[in-house]
Amino acid sequence: MAASETQLYVDKHVAYIKSLGDNKDDLTYHMTAHLRMNAIYWGLTALCIMGHKEALDREEMIDFVMSCWDDEAGGFGAHPDHDAHLLATTSAIQILVTHDALDRVDKARVARLVILSLQQPSGVFAGDSFGEIDTRFSYCAVNSLSLLGCLSDLDVEKTVSYIRACRNYDGGFGNCIGAETHAGQVFVCVAALAILDRLDEVDHETLGWWLAERQLPNGGLNGRPEKLEDVCYSFWCLSAMSILDKLSWIDSDKLISFVLSAQDSEGGGIADRPGDMVDVFHTHFGIAGLSLLGYPGLIDLDPVYCMPAHIIEAMGLRKGWKALPRRKT
Amino acid sequence: MHGARRTRQTPEAIAARKQREQSKLKDYLSLTEDVIARRKKSDWSKDSFDLTTRVLQINPEFYTVWNYRRNIMSYGLFVESSPESINDLLSDDLSMTTMALKAHPKVYWIWNHRRWCLENVPDGPGDSHDWKKANWNRELAVVEKMLDADARNFHAWNYRRYVLANMPERRPEAAELAYTTRKIEANFSNFSAWHQRSKVYTSLWESGQLNREKSIRDELELVKNAMYTDPNDQSAWLYHRWLIGSGNDREILESEITAIEELLEEQPDSKWCIESLVHYKRLLIKNHSAEFGAEQTKGLLSQCVSFLLQLQTLDPPRRNMYQDIVDTLSAT
Repeated sequence: MAASETQLYVDKHVAYIKSLGDNKDDLTYHMTAHLRMNAIYWGLTALCIMGHKEALDREEMIDFVMSCWDDEAGGFGAHPDHDAHLLATTSAIQILVTHDALDRVDKARVARLVILSLQQPSGVFAGDSFGEIDTRFSYCAVNSLSLLGCLSDLDVEKTVSYIRACRNYDGGFGNCIGAETHAGQVFVCVAALAILDRLDEVDHETLGWWLAERQLPNGGLNGRPEKLEDVCYSFWCLSAMSILDKLSWIDSDKLISFVLSAQDSEGGGIADRPGDMVDVFHTHFGIAGLSLLGYPGLIDLDPVYCMPAHIIEAMGLRKGWKALPRRKT
Repeated sequence: MHGARRTRQTPEAIAARKQREQSKLKDYLSLTEDVIARRKKSDWSKDSFDLTTRVLQINPEFYTVWNYRRNIMSYGLFVESSPESINDLLSDDLSMTTMALKAHPKVYWIWNHRRWCLENVPDGPGDSHDWKKANWNRELAVVEKMLDADARNFHAWNYRRYVLANMPERRPEAAELAYTTRKIEANFSNFSAWHQRSKVYTSLWESGQLNREKSIRDELELVKNAMYTDPNDQSAWLYHRWLIGSGNDREILESEITAIEELLEEQPDSKWCIESLVHYKRLLIKNHSAEFGAEQTKGLLSQCVSFLLQLQTLDPPRRNMYQDIVDTLSAT
C-alpha cells in the first residue's frame, strides 16, 4: 500500500468496479444516488481503459440510463426520479456513445430544447433551470453537443467569450468570471476550446508553466498553488497538458509512482492519496491519467472528451492532442 | 472520499456495521421514497417542506430535494404568505444552510440554495429594503467565518465575490482590499487572497479610484516581504508576475530584477528567484531591446540560457520545460 507499489492491479480494480452495484444494503450506496449516472460513466470508462469493457452488462447499463430520462424537464437525472441536470445528461450521453447506443435518444431534442436552452445571455451555461452557472457546464454543453453531432447549433463566439472572460493572468481559468484558476476548471475550459477549435484563446506557454508547477516533490499534482496533491488532478492537469502538448514538462515516472501508491492493493480501487479510502471517481481519474502517461497495457484515452480514444476517432472528432508513447513494460 | 483514511475491515466487521446501519438505512429509504412520491404529486404543503428539511440534514447533496424545496416555497408556502412571513421563511433557510455549510463546506448545492434564498427576499418592511439589507449584510459575516475555517475554500471566495457584487448596500472596494491584507498577513501562502487582491485592484484602477502606478509600487513592497519570508512559496511569486504584467515599464522591470538578484545572493539555490529572473529578463528583451541594442540583448539572452541550464539541475522534474525555453531562445 506504500509508495513501493510498482504495478497497476488491473484485476483488483475491475473487480472493485464490478462490486460497486452489489452494495445495495449499504447506506453509503443510497446516500450517493445523486451521483449514480456519473459513477457509472467513471466506472465504465475506467473499465474500457483497462480493456475490460465487458465487465459490466451493456443492456442493463443502457436500461438504467434510459430509466433516468426526465421527460418533463427534458434531459437525464442522476438516478430514476431525480431531476434532470446537465452533469448527469453529459454522463448519460457519454455512456450511450461508449456503448454505441446513441440512437436511444432524440438527439435534436436533447441538443436544442435541453442543452442550448441552458445557455445564458453572458454565454455561460447553467446546470439546470435553477440557473447555477459554471464553466464546467459550458464544457458539458460543448462536449455533449459535439457527441450528438449538433455543434453547428451552438453560438461559438458567445460561448468562447465567456470562457475568455474567465482567463486569469496565470494562463488558467476559473469557474466563473473573477474566480481563481483551478486545475479542474483549466481542464473544462481548455477541452471546450479544443472541441471548438479555439485554442488560440490559450496562452500555451504560461498555462503550460502553471500546470507543470502543479507537480509536488512526491510526484503528485495539486490543483492550485500551495495545496496538497490529489490523484484526480492527475487527469485534470494531464488532460490540459496533453492538449497543449506539454506532457514532457513534468516527471511522468514520479507521477505514475504516486498514482500507483494510492491504490488499494487488496480491495482494488484508487484513492485521492496513499492510505485513503478508495472511490470510483479517483479510480477513474487515476487510470485516465496513467493512460495519458503511456502506462503499459492500457487503452488510449481521449483527453478532450475523457473517453476511449478509438471511439472518438471513429466519430471523426479527434483533436490534435498528444499523450506520451505507450510503454512496453 | 477526499481525505478519509482507509481502514481494513474484516468481513465480520463489515457485516456488523451493515447490521448496525440497517435501521438507519430503512428510515432513510422510507423518508426519501415519501419525499419523491410527494414531489411527483406536486405536493407543495408545509408537511412536505419539513420532510425535505429532514432529508437534506442527512444528505445535503440530494439536489433533487433542494429543487423540490424551492418549488414548495415558490408554488406553495409563498402563495398564501405575507411578505413578512416570506422573509421569515427565507431567513430560516439561510440559518439552516449555515449549519449545513459548517458540516459540508464544499457542497455546491448548499451554496447555490443560499443564492436563491437571498435573491428571493422580498422588499420591506413597508417601503424600505431593510429585510434585503439585513440578509445580504449577514452573508458577509457568514462567508468570513467560512474563510476563517478554510482560507482557500474556493466556494466561499466565489460566494464572497457574488455577495459583494450584488448586495443592496455596496461596500467600498477599499474595504475588500483591507480584508485581503488581513488574510495575507495571517498567511502569506494564501494565494486565494492574493488572487482576490488582483481582482479588487483591477476594479479600483478601472473606476479611477486608485492610481495604478502608485498602487503597483506599494504592492511591490508588500510582495517583497512575502518573497523574503519564504522564497519557496509560489503565491507571492505569482502575484509578483501579475504586478509586472507584460513588462512595459522598463524602470520597474529593471529595479525588480535588481531586487531579485539581491535575494538570489542570499538564497543562491532559490528556484523561484532564478525562474523569475529568466521571465523578467525575457520581458526586458521582448519589450525594450530596441532601446539598449544588440550587445546587451545578447548578454541578457546568455544569462537566461545559463539560468535555464541551472534550473534543469535544481528542478529536475521540469527539466524538459526549461530545455524547451532554451530552444525557443536559441531560435530567436
